[in-house]
Amino acid sequence: MTAVLRRHPMLPVGVAFGAFLLLAPVFAERGTENDLWNMSFFLVLAAAWNLLGGFAGQVSLGYSAFVGIGAYTTVLLAKAGWSPWLTLPVGAALAAAFSVVVGLPTFRLRGPYFTIATIGVGEAVRVIASGLDFTGGSSGLRMPAGTFDFTANYYAMVGLALVTLALVAWLTQHAFGLALEAIRQDIDGAEALGVNSTQVKLQAHAISSALVAVAGGLFATNFQYISPGSVFDFRLSLTIVLMPIVGGMGTLTGPVLGAMLFSYLQIKLLASPALRDSYLFIYGGLLIVVMLFEPKGILGLWERLIALWARRRPEQPVAEARRAS
Amino acid sequence: MQKFVVVALNSLLAAGLYATMSYGLAVIYGVMRIINLAHAGLMMLAAYATWALNDRFALDPFLSMVVVAPAFFLIGMALYATLIRWLPRSSAGPSMQSLLLLFGVWLVLQNLAYAIWGGDTQSILTPYTMESVSFLGGRFGVPQILVFVASILSLVGLNLVLRRTYLGKAIRAVTQNRDASMLSGVNAGQIAAVAFGIGTAFAAMAGSMLSTLYAFTPDFGRSFLLKAFCIIVLGGMESFTGVAVGALVLAFIENFASAYTSIPVSYQDAISFTLLVVVLVAAPGGLPGLWRMLDRRVMAR
Amino acid sequence: MQAESGPILVVSSVSKRFGGLLALDSVSFEVNRGEIFSVIGPNGAGKTTLFSCLVGAQRPTTGSVRFKGEELSGLRNDEVVVRGLVRTHQIVKPFRDLTVADNVRVGVLYGRLRLRGAKARERVDEVLTRTQLGTRASVKAGVLSIGELKRLEIARALATGPDVLCLDEVMGGLNPAEIQQAMALVRALRDSGLTLLMIEHHVHAVAGLSDRLVVLNFGKKIAEGRPAEALREPAVVAAYLGHESKEETRA
Repeated sequence: MTAVLRRHPMLPVGVAFGAFLLLAPVFAERGTENDLWNMSFFLVLAAAWNLLGGFAGQVSLGYSAFVGIGAYTTVLLAKAGWSPWLTLPVGAALAAAFSVVVGLPTFRLRGPYFTIATIGVGEAVRVIASGLDFTGGSSGLRMPAGTFDFTANYYAMVGLALVTLALVAWLTQHAFGLALEAIRQDIDGAEALGVNSTQVKLQAHAISSALVAVAGGLFATNFQYISPGSVFDFRLSLTIVLMPIVGGMGTLTGPVLGAMLFSYLQIKLLASPALRDSYLFIYGGLLIVVMLFEPKGILGLWERLIALWARRRPEQPVAEARRAS
Repeated sequence: MQKFVVVALNSLLAAGLYATMSYGLAVIYGVMRIINLAHAGLMMLAAYATWALNDRFALDPFLSMVVVAPAFFLIGMALYATLIRWLPRSSAGPSMQSLLLLFGVWLVLQNLAYAIWGGDTQSILTPYTMESVSFLGGRFGVPQILVFVASILSLVGLNLVLRRTYLGKAIRAVTQNRDASMLSGVNAGQIAAVAFGIGTAFAAMAGSMLSTLYAFTPDFGRSFLLKAFCIIVLGGMESFTGVAVGALVLAFIENFASAYTSIPVSYQDAISFTLLVVVLVAAPGGLPGLWRMLDRRVMAR
Repeated sequence: MQAESGPILVVSSVSKRFGGLLALDSVSFEVNRGEIFSVIGPNGAGKTTLFSCLVGAQRPTTGSVRFKGEELSGLRNDEVVVRGLVRTHQIVKPFRDLTVADNVRVGVLYGRLRLRGAKARERVDEVLTRTQLGTRASVKAGVLSIGELKRLEIARALATGPDVLCLDEVMGGLNPAEIQQAMALVRALRDSGLTLLMIEHHVHAVAGLSDRLVVLNFGKKIAEGRPAEALREPAVVAAYLGHESKEETRA
């Protein structure tokens, strides 16, 4: 038991967090439930993206494409008579397939070139989706009546968030995680030791895109209406990337912190019209500040503070002040 | 045949604008290996500035470039001094840090525009906006022609600066070999600041020109940024003449695709985005790289 | 398992062209199982490029590389490693943010052996012990000294469980005591069943260790054979004297 705890020091916190989320509908009011739903949604996106973006270091600015694929798959199949729940795995599979199609050519690119290519792909998807007829064009699509059930959706979203965290934790603690890290730090070096970097990247991309697509499907069921502007939006891709960056890329808790921060921001922004118009200032400013001062985000800042504190107490080994991931 | 000539001429006109737009990105990348995502925001801001000057002082957009370009040159140097300067320099190529930092700047610029001018679509109307000229059976808009002239002038000016002035030569030197230039006494920091200024000024000129051709909102610029990036990759990121070639190639592909295929206009942007990905993946050395590869095949017996 | 007869590595007419530069010009040689085989030559002779072509980091422009009877050229670096041929890098680049143990673990998990769980842990410990890095296992690779980094580089490659290990200037930048240690390690590695290729500038180390060697100059092979004979050939002497080869290479 203690061995497990030592490997996963955040486990008790995670369990408490999970319990809180699952029990919320019992004692919280609807407004709070909505906020928690939002936070869970962001959490899935941030934690899933982080698998490829943070751990493996391949920053994709095109993840809204997967949200859209999940959302549109759910709506279109639901309109054809499917139960919304059954549409989720289909959306996940389609997103994973698309991620491979996109990944095969683009994973040959390094660093910023890969990122720019993902912007290109994301924009191309959005343009095409806005133009197609069966996706309702730019005016969007509505879910068929009778598919709305907030409580079930809430539990599904929270469940998805916890599953995502558990899955990412499990993957990154074992061999796969080491491969991701090696790829992030020195991809040629990793290949020189036998790591098939393209395969690993494709796998991470597929897993994360599938998770994101399921979240997109739940989004569609919850809001009952989607459009290219809401799900294929570049701003969504941006938010997805900002959360782990600000929270701390390549860690387990970073995306959680980022998701909490951004869902909080969203609440505040929607509440105050003045702030709503300044959200780009805030996002942009955050990005600038983080990149200039602490590229490792909030967790990086935390690490630095701990290291400073540990240095003042020389009898405490620095190794003990290890980050919570 | 006649249609071909008309489409070709239209491509040429578009290429001028594309080249100006892309040189801004290329200079900064060449000197600092930084991908300036704020380029889009700067183009947008310049478009708004041009519009504001036109709105307040009835200043012709092309004439206002005389004011806008130097102003943005200074803005660019200021951006460098306050933000870019502090980024860690990595010799291993462009860093994610710089990419994301400038991305943040772009977002801030967007918000700035929203705050000052609101989110409504703006456009500039001049006496000649709707005028066009007939030539060889095709109609060519007067703004397009003026944009072409302006872009040629700006490119000639850039060429003069790059070849005749010390700073220009230093920029070319640093682009080709940073370490050797520094050993030869070039002050890399100073050159970087100037290069950033020039890059911003060219973004601004492109923005002014775009304002005469298109309506714009603060969100404006993303598709042009991607086209500019596509062009400099096509041109082979280290070459200045390559940019001109890339601009011509993209302009031709776009215009001929819309003239001779049934791809709807709304999908046209998707062409350049896809081309960007294709070129990045299949020909990372751009056209010069392809040329070298062909050359080698011919040479190797 | 009966050892196959015939050389374990056959390099045939390998050439590598970078644009206008011919880095390797039709280089051919064979390496036998259990040999210590050195590749020497003045700076810029193409030695590291040769190694790159062997492991798949670069693709030869022409020529073939046969390893245990199988054609390697055209395979990716990781595919070659999985088949049992691995190299160290002249400029060591560990995974700085990973511990020494994790650096080694990458090779254990993804190299030829692909071990997992307890077996993987055992192998990591074994490799660390053999390269005398056991005490540094939980230290971040970024803080090691140059001697330790060189040993880590060997450890990482060793962890993949290769048949043939290519060492690229492992003695560069070491002091005489460290050089002796390195030579002992190389001998120990060969004694444990590995075949070794070495790029090395320390001529006395080369002479002391190698069974056979090949000398490259400007991408061409100019001599081959046992150290005592090959090093005395006039072409070799001229190549070295002409280029003022120093014992201490560039950093």
